[in-house]
Amino acid sequence: MKVRKLSLPFSSEMISSLIQGDKILLDGTLYTSRDLAHTRLVELMRAGQPSPIPLDEGALFYCGPSPVPPGKVCGAIGPTTSARMDRFTPFLLEHGLKVIIGKGDRSPEVCDAIRKHGAVYLVATGGISALLSRCVVSRETFLWPKLGAEAVYRYVVQDFPCYVAIV
Amino acid sequence: MKTAQRLLSDALIQEKVIEAIGKIFCDREPHAQELLTKALNSETDELARDILDDIIDNAALAREERLPLCQDTGLLVVFARLGVDVRLEICLRDTLEQAAAIAWQKYYMRDSIAPDPLRGQLDECEDIRSESDARLPIVLHLEQVPGDGLSLDLALKGGGAENMSALRMFNPSAKVEEIVEFVVDTVVNAGGRPCPPVIVGVGIGGDFELSAILAKRALFTDSDERGTCYRELEKDILRRINERGRGVMGLAGRNTALEVRILTAPCHIASLPVAVNLDCHAHRHIRVEI
Repeated sequence: MKVRKLSLPFSSEMISSLIQGDKILLDGTLYTSRDLAHTRLVELMRAGQPSPIPLDEGALFYCGPSPVPPGKVCGAIGPTTSARMDRFTPFLLEHGLKVIIGKGDRSPEVCDAIRKHGAVYLVATGGISALLSRCVVSRETFLWPKLGAEAVYRYVVQDFPCYVAIV
Repeated sequence: MKTAQRLLSDALIQEKVIEAIGKIFCDREPHAQELLTKALNSETDELARDILDDIIDNAALAREERLPLCQDTGLLVVFARLGVDVRLEICLRDTLEQAAAIAWQKYYMRDSIAPDPLRGQLDECEDIRSESDARLPIVLHLEQVPGDGLSLDLALKGGGAENMSALRMFNPSAKVEEIVEFVVDTVVNAGGRPCPPVIVGVGIGGDFELSAILAKRALFTDSDERGTCYRELEKDILRRINERGRGVMGLAGRNTALEVRILTAPCHIASLPVAVNLDCHAHRHIRVEI
């Protein structure tokens, strides 16, 4: 297992150099988005509006964080099951999404779309929220705060551990 | 003749439940932690070992910093055994929901409830969310037992593992092998989604809903509570799951499951229901005796 320290955004060359099973310590910006935010995002884009999340800039992180305790940078964070977002993923890949972080298998259709668009799917470990929260440098609510845990949050992370699953 | 009743106050039960949630939101059940250490010692795959290290280290850090083990702080599931000689001040559900509401705010746990399961798609039903409101319908299974005690098995049950549950109504002439295959396939096909290594709860018998309740209840049991009849079958299923090699987080290694726990009940002569309920490696379970 090779361990690589990499920064977002990823260039095409960098993505094509990734090997399944590599461990990555990731620096950069993550935008959380899970079930409800995906539904809204894709509805907007299908209606012809540009994506309010800069899909090619950071990584899309399937995550619904817990509230921030006083004196902490963030609450608990970690990946949720990616397969629930499979129905939206090919469309987002067609519109520039390059880096996805989640957990668990993707559908064959999503695997093909990831490879076709030169994107990468990274798996983060579920249930290690205390460790992952240490990697967070800053956190802000980015979109749709009324969705609570399902809103879009913007995290800047350093040395965020994940593994290359589909490339 | 009137039997003496023991009064258990709303305040006392709440205090014990809040304290118990305060233990498990940031720490897994000790036996599960031992099983994970054993898994790490037996694991030869480098990537799987790397993940298991993080899973084990995370619990120590979460406990120390009072941070949730997982951002999915779960749904509160309670199996309550209420002594017939106990008198309560108010309904047990109200006490437990109030305790959960306090604990959720006190420990900064996530509101993971969608008030409308269809997410407000129908005009008549709203699905209003917030970041920290404690709206917590708990899942309560209440049973009456002899005595003047109250025993509460509490779990914080995450959604990812719950989603990978399965229930099948088998033909009563089904061979044990067919049931074993069903359980093994359910766990293996779940891949990384339920956050393996998982604990596998299996309910065999009863009726449709009782088999599911047994499967969930099994997750709370130790081997003494389950008896000896099915012990070899549990071991056989565990071995066969781990031989299929989905591994830690569905990525690598041989530790897909930590333990298989089977509970059974008699069933109708026409039926053989089998349910499987998974728990993630966070395994936030605790027993409170009052």
